[in-house]
Amino acid sequence: MTRSARLAAQGLAVALVVGLLALLIWRVANDSNKGVSQALRDGQHPTAPAFDLSRLDGRGRIDLASLRGKKPIVLDFWASWCVPCIHESKRLEAARRQYGNRVAFIGVDTKDFSGDARSWQRKHGITYPSVHDGSGGVLTKWGGLPIPRIFFVARSGKVVGELVVEEDLPRYLRQIAAS
Amino acid sequence: MRPLILVVVAALLAVPVARASERHPTLNELEGEVMCPVCGTTLDQSSSPAAQQIKRVIASRIAAGDTKSQIKNQLVAEYGDAILAAPEHKGFGLLAWWLPIAGIIAAAVIVGAGAWRWSRRREPLLPGPPLDPALEARLNDELRRFDD
Repeated sequence: MTRSARLAAQGLAVALVVGLLALLIWRVANDSNKGVSQALRDGQHPTAPAFDLSRLDGRGRIDLASLRGKKPIVLDFWASWCVPCIHESKRLEAARRQYGNRVAFIGVDTKDFSGDARSWQRKHGITYPSVHDGSGGVLTKWGGLPIPRIFFVARSGKVVGELVVEEDLPRYLRQIAAS
Repeated sequence: MRPLILVVVAALLAVPVARASERHPTLNELEGEVMCPVCGTTLDQSSSPAAQQIKRVIASRIAAGDTKSQIKNQLVAEYGDAILAAPEHKGFGLLAWWLPIAGIIAAAVIVGAGAWRWSRRREPLLPGPPLDPALEARLNDELRRFDD
């Protein structure tokens, strides 16, 4: 092997190692992004990450970004295998009767079978529309498991808060309804 | 030659088994090939509610007579590719199967070529300088006496 060929091979090997290191650093940096939930805990109010997913009831799709500037949103991440989700979704269903004209209630059925999810909605009388996020990609952007997770988005598209204490539900609803 | 024949026979015997597994999958084998979407393990290692739900669906599809591919396709349609424990043998998934093998072959070729070059480059052992005839004669005498 000539000297120039050997140098080229060494340069290629070093470039490969540097490339892999850069990939690793990029991956670690991306993983450290815990999504909307973490941003809220850090005192920030990020813009709601957009999604465009099929509705569980088959009536087209919901594009979250299209609601920006039009209506405040309550976003409910749930699944039919999640027992605590029953209670939370029922509370939101009750709240929808009071705020349904001013606030959009949207469910995100995540990591779930759509057939089971539809049965679950019928069984528990949940009537607000839900989209299907089977892979959990949208859930990850908002904070990941565990569920239920409920977020409140102002008319401007900024996320106002996440429901941590049950008693905060009326306060958040009033806040985004007035936004 | 004999090991090669054994490998070919084993491969031929494995084909009908794989076909039977495709047509009549069991819950046990699919539990090892499908991930639980909330725990990061395969279904057979999880008893979470989400895993139980998928096991129930798989059992119902097996009872309905679906093939393994049909069941897996349905799971991928609902959960995405990440629901499968191993990537499929088609499309982009082929990369995951063949890239490591190609890497091993490439590494073997590089190591083999390097070893071959190194072994050729080594200097042959040269004989030492000739012995002094008197010393050689004395050494022969000593050795002969030692043999006696």
